[in-house]
Amino acid sequence: MSEAPHTVKSYEEELKNLNSNIIKMGGFCEEALGKAIQAITTRNSDHAESVIKDDEKIDKFETLIEQQVVNLIALRQPMAIDLRETVTALKISSDLERIGDLAKNISKRTLLLNEYLPKNLVDALVRVSSNVQKQLKSILDAYLDRSSSMAMNVWESDEKIDDLTNLCMQEVIKYLKENEKNLDDGTHLLFVTKNIERIGDHTTNVAEQVYYLVTGEYLEGDRPKGTEPIVTGEK
Amino acid sequence: MNKNKEKLLAKRYSSEKRFQFLGKSAIFMALLFLAIFIFKIFSTGYTAFQKTWLIVPVNFDAETMYLDANPSKEDLEEADYFEISLQSMFNLDKNANEKQQNELKKMVSYFFEREIKQELINDPSLLGKTKDVYITASDDLDQVFKGNYPRDLPENQRRVTDYQLKIFDQLVEQGKVESKFNLSFFTYPDSREAELAGIASSFMGSIFSILVCLAIAFPVAVLAAIYLEEFAPKNRFTDFIEVNINNLAAVPSIVFGLLGLGILLAVFQLPRSTPLVGGITLSLMTLPTIIIACRASLKAVPPSIREAALAMGASRMQTTMHHTVPLSMPGTLSGTIIGLAQALGETAPLILIGMVAFVNTIPGSPMDPAASLPVQIYIWAESAERGFVEKVSACIMVLLGFLIVMNLFAQIIRHKFEKKWS
Amino acid sequence: MIKISAKNVDVFYGKKQALFNINLDIEENQVTALIGPSGCGKSTFLRCLNRMNDVIDICKVQGEIVINDFNINDKGCDVVRLREKIGMVFQKPNPFPKTLYENISYGPTIHGMAQSKQEMDEIVETSLKKAALWEEVKDRLHEPGTGLSGGQQQRLCIARAISVQPEVILMDEPCSALDPIATAQIEELIDELKKEHTIIIVTHSMAQAARVSQRTGFFHLGELIEHGSTDKIFKNPDNTKTQDYITGRFG
Repeated sequence: MSEAPHTVKSYEEELKNLNSNIIKMGGFCEEALGKAIQAITTRNSDHAESVIKDDEKIDKFETLIEQQVVNLIALRQPMAIDLRETVTALKISSDLERIGDLAKNISKRTLLLNEYLPKNLVDALVRVSSNVQKQLKSILDAYLDRSSSMAMNVWESDEKIDDLTNLCMQEVIKYLKENEKNLDDGTHLLFVTKNIERIGDHTTNVAEQVYYLVTGEYLEGDRPKGTEPIVTGEK
Repeated sequence: MNKNKEKLLAKRYSSEKRFQFLGKSAIFMALLFLAIFIFKIFSTGYTAFQKTWLIVPVNFDAETMYLDANPSKEDLEEADYFEISLQSMFNLDKNANEKQQNELKKMVSYFFEREIKQELINDPSLLGKTKDVYITASDDLDQVFKGNYPRDLPENQRRVTDYQLKIFDQLVEQGKVESKFNLSFFTYPDSREAELAGIASSFMGSIFSILVCLAIAFPVAVLAAIYLEEFAPKNRFTDFIEVNINNLAAVPSIVFGLLGLGILLAVFQLPRSTPLVGGITLSLMTLPTIIIACRASLKAVPPSIREAALAMGASRMQTTMHHTVPLSMPGTLSGTIIGLAQALGETAPLILIGMVAFVNTIPGSPMDPAASLPVQIYIWAESAERGFVEKVSACIMVLLGFLIVMNLFAQIIRHKFEKKWS
Repeated sequence: MIKISAKNVDVFYGKKQALFNINLDIEENQVTALIGPSGCGKSTFLRCLNRMNDVIDICKVQGEIVINDFNINDKGCDVVRLREKIGMVFQKPNPFPKTLYENISYGPTIHGMAQSKQEMDEIVETSLKKAALWEEVKDRLHEPGTGLSGGQQQRLCIARAISVQPEVILMDEPCSALDPIATAQIEELIDELKKEHTIIIVTHSMAQAARVSQRTGFFHLGELIEHGSTDKIFKNPDNTKTQDYITGRFG
């Protein structure tokens, strides 16, 4: 936010409110992601269930933010930084909502998984997911601090996530190859891995938005990509 | 607290009421004075518009006038009417002695001979016949008939003798005295005799003075105002001029009279007592009034109009002449008329330049000697005869009428032009 | 292409300096909006471009303003010819208190642009058509121009300005006295007029500047703080003062 406050105080209030709603929504997403990861790595179905239940909250936040944005555009006609603030809030909120959905999906699949998973696989999952978690946390911090360099860092480290996802995929494939009985769990794990990667992608989207919000410029060029994935979930 | 508020409120209302009452009474006072003034003027003046005539039988005897039976027009013009005129007056009382005959003669204006002559010239067939002729009564009898004359004074204190009154009353009884509209008040010049005095000379004098004044003051003032307002650089010198124009408007009019006397009459040797000199003197007085009015209305023209014209590429001169001046005209014109109305009522400077002289001819041009209406009022107010008292009031009425017409004209001009431009 | 180029323009009102070293290029056939808080000098700058500041005795303009390779602040510049080439529309509609026809024909008359009554009729008609007013007033050309509504009056003033086919039209807050519908009509008109004229508009409404202009300049306290393409200024201005102004953080 710019240093000087708005002449119209209620306008200032509305923008601050929008801002804090994004932060809160981001907080809920972080929590959902954390719990989903914990649920899958520690086999805790309580966590998984709470994530599924709490997704509703995140969805409500998205609706709220959307309304606030529409009101701001219609009634305040924001310009420059305020305009970017408003527009990015809309886009960030939809990315966050997707993150929430994906966390919910992970949790749903977690409930269907067997008790025992190979350590290598869990380690790989933990590696990629903790990285994604870190990304999400730092991009929310970047948004709070209006830091374009932090956003840039997040954007660039998406490459690492892709690599880690590939490693994790390899573990899952290995797991699948081990036993035909693993087919059910393996498929779920493939989706879980893919979802974690998707969350990383959404985090990168948010990073792009934060960068635009702060600098008014778009992050140019293709998003950094890791080595081509061996197995693709969707696409 | 609340009670205090209520008290204060009541106080505020009552002070407003008091103020309104004071305002209303001020207006009432003003109206009262005006009403008294107008009542006074009208009550004393309206009789001046009536004139008393004695109807006297006149015998147009050809022999007495040394005329033959069929006289030519020249003969009629040159004939001696004095004898028949005297005779017809003496006939009113056949037993009158010489003194009484003299008094009989004085019952009518000295003009009676001419009135009788006019009657015959208008109708030559009257020669040798007797006809009732309207003859202007003397101003004293005029006043008696109008009831303005105290009849109960002792004879030696009044100008009408008992004998004249006796004859007059007889004539009244016979219906031989009539009061008719006094046309001569408007068509005759001034006269020493109240019954014959008219305002024609001073009225024309006033009109000529005003025309001269307008012809000089208006163009000079408008040009000066336009230059000062639109073209002159704003500096100390123009400020100085502006202050002096305002001062000039406050200079007492008699000073302008002295100026006229000292310069126009003494240096330029212009003819005395003429509307020309009067008009020039008045124009000096009117000049600042018109300049101020014209500048004010030039200032009132919205600057946006000037900007619009300038932005179209009009030069300053074009902007002024095409837009500003036409827009300022209603204000200028009504200011001019107000200024002229002031000049019309001005007396002092005209007295100084000699327009106070007794003028018994009607001026035909601004170069002829003339009086002016306010000066005429002054002259008549100075006169001793009773007959002039009502004339003063009548003259005031004419002057006021003149002023009202001029102001009305100013209003009409203003409305007409403003309607066109709004 | 650059139509007008202001170089190091300073303006003084008496001892007070109103504009400080303004450097601004105006592109041909584009709408340039000048924005800024009241008293920032944007109108003063606008009035430099057709030397309307000459009217004010104490006003002094320094620096170069080059139009068509000609410095209008040169002594040899003829103001009448300059103003024929650079029309102006003012804040308050100010039609002459004359008929519509006389309003439009005034400029062509004083500049001798029409040889006959017929030619003048044509000029009046095309000017009014370009100003999108013809249909509304064609039956009452000889009625007073002051009888029109505010928006119509302003379009009349625009028609009057374009009657002499100026290359540049200056507009000093042309919509500040108009309702939104009339404002929209004027804005549409500005969009049309930029095909043939270069337009510079001073406005208090940032939304208007954003809507009508291709380029925007932001003035503050007599300085040109920032200028550039309108979308850049309104989406992502370089200067924080500009940003604070257009987002309503001071004013």
